[in-house]
Amino acid sequence: MSSSTYSDIVVEAKHLGKAYQLYARRNDWLKQVMFGWAKSYFKPFTVLRDINLQIQRGESIGFLGRNGCGKSTLLQVICGMTLPSHGELRVSGRIAPVLALGSTFDLELSGRENVMIGGAVLGLKRAEVQRKFNSIAEFAGIGDYMDQPVKHYSMGMRTRLAFSICAHVEAEILVVDEALAVGDAAFQRKCLDWIDNFRKTGTLLFVSHSMAEVRRLCTRAIWIEDGCIREQGDPSEVIRNYHRALLVEKDDVHRFSAAR
Amino acid sequence: MPSVNVVNGKQIVVENLGPVERTIRFFYRPFGQMWHHRDLIQAILRREVAERFKGSIAGWVWAVVAPLLAIAVYTFFFAGRLDLPREYMVTSGQNTSYALFILSGIVVFNFWSEMAFRAPMLLHEYVHFIKQTIFPSDMLAVISTLRATLYTVISVVVLMVFQVIVAGHLPWTWLLLPLILIPFVAFLVGMAWFLCAIGAFTRDAGYLMINIVPLFMFATPVFYSQTQLPPPLDFWLYANALTGYVEVMRDIMLVGTLPNWQVYAWTLFTSIFTFYFGYWFFDRYRNVIVDVL
Repeated sequence: MSSSTYSDIVVEAKHLGKAYQLYARRNDWLKQVMFGWAKSYFKPFTVLRDINLQIQRGESIGFLGRNGCGKSTLLQVICGMTLPSHGELRVSGRIAPVLALGSTFDLELSGRENVMIGGAVLGLKRAEVQRKFNSIAEFAGIGDYMDQPVKHYSMGMRTRLAFSICAHVEAEILVVDEALAVGDAAFQRKCLDWIDNFRKTGTLLFVSHSMAEVRRLCTRAIWIEDGCIREQGDPSEVIRNYHRALLVEKDDVHRFSAAR
Repeated sequence: MPSVNVVNGKQIVVENLGPVERTIRFFYRPFGQMWHHRDLIQAILRREVAERFKGSIAGWVWAVVAPLLAIAVYTFFFAGRLDLPREYMVTSGQNTSYALFILSGIVVFNFWSEMAFRAPMLLHEYVHFIKQTIFPSDMLAVISTLRATLYTVISVVVLMVFQVIVAGHLPWTWLLLPLILIPFVAFLVGMAWFLCAIGAFTRDAGYLMINIVPLFMFATPVFYSQTQLPPPLDFWLYANALTGYVEVMRDIMLVGTLPNWQVYAWTLFTSIFTFYFGYWFFDRYRNVIVDVL
């Protein structure tokens, strides 16, 4: 890129919105696909309303917000897994989503085979995965379980393996979505140390309900509520306001209803 | 250049291409994608092949046993009960000619039916990959067809060995087999793209296939030859695209003649058309599919 200011922005969103289509009956999808040009068969369910965001290279962003506020959807949209329904989005750089890699593991196959598949899914060449295999196994630290079927793994071991694969992708943008919650304290510290190291060169997008992690890792916190950015800035500041709001505002039961 | 560039739900492609270049790109794209994702295709294909005989001790032996069993059963039940056209009497014994005749039809039909059964549920099988990772979902149709190709090749080898034993020789036209097998694979990949996209929207596609695939066994010249049908039925049987593939396969594998060029042209047409129609259809709905699954 010729202009240096442009290339320093890795994620840029303008008025970004995502509405899922809620259908009363399952087969209305088909009608929508066939006759959608004439009539719409769905109720739009807005998850993201109006997100304006600029993320510079090297920043670490912590996303806060209650369940269903749209954090995960925002990250999925940024990763390019699902298209936004309106607004503009530009992302530059290789993204590695540590969203739920563990859930793609084939339970019948061994950890080793799942590393080969997981690496391929994250865009590594076969030779690269083979070269990095020992390092991946060492980071995961699950020893002889590597050659056992994944169905015998505990949740924590799956997370270890999944994170370990993601840590070896050499991504420019790393998206971590509550992935570390199930690991034990020692492994969490290992991951946090690794992320600390990663932050020197890459950009981190981080979702967590652990405020301590956000405070430790992030240079900026973004508080998302109801599909909009409610507040962003210094992590300590945002976390304080977020906590205050959690105490004052009740857990609204109508939060997940479509009719709004 | 940004790796993701989206405005109002539309992916922005930065190049400004004319209609000719766009057409060339469309025809080239599926192959470009396959090449780009070759390591992923390989990794998942390995898993799929391993999965087929998971927990089995005999493993690959089953892939050989299935066609052998088919030979035995069909020889036993149909020997002498159906009229076999003269050109297909390729061995001295009538029973073995029947077995070869039927098995060559079964190979084509099984290949097709495996894909027809599986394709509607294909994206559901891989829903975790599609929803939680950046996954090229269009490659699933390619991978599943490649797996089925592997088993078809095993059946073809069994057929070849059987033919050498009972007929004593192979016609040279066997060498032309790739010229029909490759179009057939392309046909099936296209069909899988179409069916898996439909199957993502509604499970009815899967139930429909379960019901109509067995009927197709009789609408395809597996147990008979299209030449035995009265006109105009023998012509209209070609509306079932499988007819052409079965006929060409039998011509080159059993009879040892070059296929009728009109029939071969028809199979090429159905192959190329289905391949690109399937890809176009899948590509059109791929972004919707992620949200429906």
